[in-house]
Amino acid sequence: MSKVQLINLKKKYSEVEALKQFTLEIQSGELFTLLGPSGCGKTTLLRTIAGFNRQDSGNIMIDGLEIDNLPAYRRDIGMVFQDYAIFPHMSVEDNIAFGLRNREVSGQELKTRVSEALETVQLSGLEKRMPNELSGGQQQRVGLARALVIQPKILLMDEPLSNLDAKLRIELREDIRQIQKNFGTTTIYVTHDQEEALVISDRICIMRSGQMVQVGTPWEIYNKPVDHFVASFVGNMIFLPWPLAGMKDQNLDKLREIESFSGLNIDVSDNDKYQIGIRPEEVVISKQNSVLDSNVISLSGIVEKISFSGREAQLHVKLIDGNMIMANISRPDESFLEEVGKTVYLELPYKAVMFFEKDNGLRC
Amino acid sequence: MKRLLNSLNNIWSFVILFAFLIVGLLLILPLYNIFVSSFIDNETGSFTLQNYIDILGKGYYRKAIYNSIFVGFSSMFGALLIGIPLAFFTTRFKIRGKSVISTLAILALVSPPFIGAYAWITMLGSNGWLRHGFESIGIPMPTIYGPLGMIIVFSLKLYPFVYLLTSGALSNINSSLEDAAESLGYPPFSKFIHVTLPLILPAISTGALLAFVLSLADFGTPSIIGRDFRVLSTVAYNLFTSEMGGNPGLASTVSILLILVSLIFVYMQRIIIRNKDFGSDMLNPPEIKKLTRLTTIPVHFLCYFIVFLSSMPSLVVIYNSFRKTSGPVFQSGFGLDSYRRVINDVPDAIFNSFLFSVSAVILIVLCGTLIGYVVARKPSILTGSLDSMLMIPYIVPGVVLGLGFIVSFNSKPIVLTGTAIIIILVIFIRRLPYSVRSSVSILKQINIGIEEAAASLGAGPAKTFVKITLPLMLPGVFAGAMMAFITAINELSSSIILYVGGTVTMPVRIYLSVLDGEFGTAASLSTILLVATGIAVYTIIRLTDSDERVFL
Repeated sequence: MSKVQLINLKKKYSEVEALKQFTLEIQSGELFTLLGPSGCGKTTLLRTIAGFNRQDSGNIMIDGLEIDNLPAYRRDIGMVFQDYAIFPHMSVEDNIAFGLRNREVSGQELKTRVSEALETVQLSGLEKRMPNELSGGQQQRVGLARALVIQPKILLMDEPLSNLDAKLRIELREDIRQIQKNFGTTTIYVTHDQEEALVISDRICIMRSGQMVQVGTPWEIYNKPVDHFVASFVGNMIFLPWPLAGMKDQNLDKLREIESFSGLNIDVSDNDKYQIGIRPEEVVISKQNSVLDSNVISLSGIVEKISFSGREAQLHVKLIDGNMIMANISRPDESFLEEVGKTVYLELPYKAVMFFEKDNGLRC
Repeated sequence: MKRLLNSLNNIWSFVILFAFLIVGLLLILPLYNIFVSSFIDNETGSFTLQNYIDILGKGYYRKAIYNSIFVGFSSMFGALLIGIPLAFFTTRFKIRGKSVISTLAILALVSPPFIGAYAWITMLGSNGWLRHGFESIGIPMPTIYGPLGMIIVFSLKLYPFVYLLTSGALSNINSSLEDAAESLGYPPFSKFIHVTLPLILPAISTGALLAFVLSLADFGTPSIIGRDFRVLSTVAYNLFTSEMGGNPGLASTVSILLILVSLIFVYMQRIIIRNKDFGSDMLNPPEIKKLTRLTTIPVHFLCYFIVFLSSMPSLVVIYNSFRKTSGPVFQSGFGLDSYRRVINDVPDAIFNSFLFSVSAVILIVLCGTLIGYVVARKPSILTGSLDSMLMIPYIVPGVVLGLGFIVSFNSKPIVLTGTAIIIILVIFIRRLPYSVRSSVSILKQINIGIEEAAASLGAGPAKTFVKITLPLMLPGVFAGAMMAFITAINELSSSIILYVGGTVTMPVRIYLSVLDGEFGTAASLSTILLVATGIAVYTIIRLTDSDERVFL
């Protein structure tokens, strides 16, 4: 169990600043995720911690000790790779034993540790297999076992699931989370898949162009995004102009009294300052106009398109001002699928509405 | 049977049939005749094992076998020793002028080996200027003659195979694998030993095999600088052309031995690389590191020294061709005497060389493309066996195939000896497999769905091939044609056996000039060859986007 501190890390590739003054602390034993779109610097950061890149300036400390001048092979890290990086010329057993042999573990101890590692990743019995006889998911399990068996101070995982198919991805991410909790190894996990990050992490760091945008628990990231970027990157978010064309009649003044906004400094009567956002699952949709409710924004629009995905249906509704809004209906009954071209009524609960400043994207 | 007939009922069946005819007539028949002739007594014409008893029993022949294997092995190690470090440095580190290095290596690869042998004689022969130079400052230098010279010439000639194959493999390694080893605690050198080396072993061993087989098969080099050091290829040639009437039986036996030795090595290499083809699908190319201030000079020096040394023979030959001569002797000063001589004395050699190579190339491209297509796209037992048979020329030395052609085509029903056709055909069959190989590999990169799309739109097999597949293959076919031209125009070992006065070619003429001590003639002819070769290399690099491995 080790604590990782990154202090003012900077890294430049020719003209591109891959990391800009990056400072972060990762607690011992936590599963910490770096999440961001491709090119945001998350992989650069991971590889810098691993020692494959050298930062231009700044320090990396593990348990308070600077490791900046240690080459990768002396950092005592375990790494799991996106493309598995299983040595194709070695059996499963030899792959896992590879790091131990170098640490002069041999004989019975080597055997025991290898078979324990195999058991952990549920591959017992496949010791003698060659990598080309394994599926992608099995290869990545070998990769995980190989990294864990050396009992590294920190475990680094670089998009370990992105080459697997959807079903396997879900299965393996649960296992990774479980194994990580059992071992208690401090883990830094890189992914561009926001759902994966939410499910697997203790804390998430959202990155954009070499900078940290927000650090927080999955709940905080999803429900309290700091800005427009985080809100749109994590989960789905519908953005609409403020004020909404269909709600002109509603009394804006009354809004100030509403609980969700009272603490915020929002001038709701300003026509040009804000953009609002709401998660599609918060939008309530109905065929009849409901009773006026002071806790919701009521709107109406015409259904343009319905995409049915089994578990739910998503309705694309065109509002009076031409803006589109999406709403999810779970377990839709068949009649809903015939609604294209008809008018529907929407309710946006105030407590689910987020206000973003137009000029800098920050959430109010 | 009916199904077989049905399947024959289209255009590609004719191609398959025709291919079998070619291979049977030009490859299997000559080798079969050699094989048979190795069991026939020269005097009586009856079956005998005496030839084999003689070869394996007499010290003279046994020594040749031993010499061949010794030189082959040493040259192979020489090529590995030069090729692997060069590949490692150029793929993994920032080296200035990398394209210069690979171009010079390619030139060494494509220039004919006998030019190397000859150029080294002018440098380190009994009267070599380099040797004199060193002696004048008190450093005694051995001559280039003998086994050590052969090994040096071969190593410097054949290392590009190792270099190109190894650097290809090195830049194809998924760099995550090396990173993984490092993260597991392996420092750079043991990382190389435990992970990188096993992964490039197939490429290295293929390069090693090529170096071994080619040095074993080469005729020009041992014949020019071997002197008393006999190897199998020179022994076979001498047995056949000996002034005391020759001994085709013994020559055939030696030929069979040559093939056998090559075969054993092919088999050994197969065992080494069995189950070791770790194609890397997810490419995470290795990082190209900057050299430190301390290492950059020695590494650059080493890389440039290697390619300079290996291209030195070509430079020397070109230089020599412009020196003044009087008769066969070089004088001080420069002039075009040598060129005037070759144009006056041996214009036919130049003309023949171009005529034969161009004719052979046309045949090679036509047949190679079509055969390549059936091998790649119509897999069956027939095309599979065709593919295997086309491996044979890789391991049959030119001298041996030349002998086979003489044995097979000097009496009815087919009499070709002494004609230009026999030389064109021997070049054709020796280089056909390269063209087939390259067609197959191009086709593997062309999505078969494109052809199926054409078929679904109503195009028949012939139309699909001509309108769809062929245009896509064209750049690769062109590069293949240029490569065939390079090897055709530089062919010596088979034409040395098949030529007569009227069908002499440049390589043969150069070889004879060197033996006669006419170094000026040899130099100017060699320069013409080098220029033709250089132009072909240039067009390949310029007009196609093939990578350097096309030269293998």
